[in-house]
Amino acid sequence: FFTVHANRTHYRPPGKPTRARCRSPEKETFTCWWEPGSDGGLPTTYALYYRKENSDTVYECPDYHTAGENSCFFNKNDTSIWINYNITVVATNALGSTFSDPVDIDVVYIVKPNPPEKVTVTVMEDKGWPFLRVSWEPPHKADTRSGWITLIYELRVTLEGEDDWEMHLAGQQKLFNIFSLRSGGTYLVQVRCRPDHGFWSEWSSTSYIKVPDYFHREKSVWIL
Amino acid sequence: LCMVAACNAVPITELLDRASQRSDKLHSLSTTLTQELDSHFPPIGWMIMPRPSMCHTSSLQTPNDKEQALQVSESDLLSLARSLLKSWVDPLLVLSTSVNTLPHPAQSSISNKIQELQENSKSLGDGLDILSGKMGPAAQTVSLLPYSGGNDIGQDRISKLTNFHFLLSCFRRDSHKIDSFLKVLRCRAAKLQPEMC
Repeated sequence: FFTVHANRTHYRPPGKPTRARCRSPEKETFTCWWEPGSDGGLPTTYALYYRKENSDTVYECPDYHTAGENSCFFNKNDTSIWINYNITVVATNALGSTFSDPVDIDVVYIVKPNPPEKVTVTVMEDKGWPFLRVSWEPPHKADTRSGWITLIYELRVTLEGEDDWEMHLAGQQKLFNIFSLRSGGTYLVQVRCRPDHGFWSEWSSTSYIKVPDYFHREKSVWIL
Repeated sequence: LCMVAACNAVPITELLDRASQRSDKLHSLSTTLTQELDSHFPPIGWMIMPRPSMCHTSSLQTPNDKEQALQVSESDLLSLARSLLKSWVDPLLVLSTSVNTLPHPAQSSISNKIQELQENSKSLGDGLDILSGKMGPAAQTVSLLPYSGGNDIGQDRISKLTNFHFLLSCFRRDSHKIDSFLKVLRCRAAKLQPEMC
């Protein structure tokens, strides 16, 4: 009892929620995240409110669960594009409420796709020389077939144990060949994608491929 | 995009591909311009800038999500893209004449890009005219949204920068719509080329 009483003077309204930001992976849904401020020593709840351009109605976040803690997920039905959302996060405890700085977003300007999927790397041969064929698929959420989102791809390759990555821009292609390999080496390959107007995805997880030892054949060609 | 006579030989898929490249460029340019303006924008400008609903094209009904957009017919998508583009001919002219007195450190770079914007917009418009001719009467319909903002973008520094920025942000949104509609069209036309979409 005494402890509670001694601490009472430290109780405060919550600190300001910061770094509120939003991203859409496919121009169809989006998620906003924020970082909580101090809780003021009391149980604190967070709520996200938004207002759409052309309307005075304020709505509360439709889904606090899907995207994890301190986030709000907007599904397809809650997502419009070419319309500004004005978003504010409010932290509340028993002593009061604190508002974040408001964020104005249009979903078309915050598109950052998921990384490409099913990245496969195989060693192929052309006239006795090895090359790598890298192929992949767009992130499954992105509807590239209908043209709703257009993705371009970039890949990077490095030999195991080296520091520098070699970058290759693949454009809209989902296939890329890499020549001039070092025989016997193990290569690391990653792919990422970017929408025509938007941000680069993270890199896909690394694919490893060992190039067989072509030393003898190189030598025989050399002698010829 | 191509000379009128030579265009008859060019398939629609190819024309749509060229048009999408232009509209892509148009939107990228408007994004670069917006960022350039942002770098020296008076904080008060953000508060007095008109809402996006004040854009002269905002009364045009356009789809607001994928589901709606994919339900629109080919000819209506093209007609929406053409309506938006044609409605920007006058205000782009206002931007290009007023940029000469824009109180901004990157004024000459902005001026060059506005000119590029006009040229791209003109050639995209010509290309879409040819496309609409090939797509039948329904694609020829155009709703013109008149720009009533006048030739003057303002007297003092703050209102010049704010009005210029406002017009450009309207154009940025519309060029994104045009680009999105044309890329959906391109994929519908290129159903047999899985490489593209």
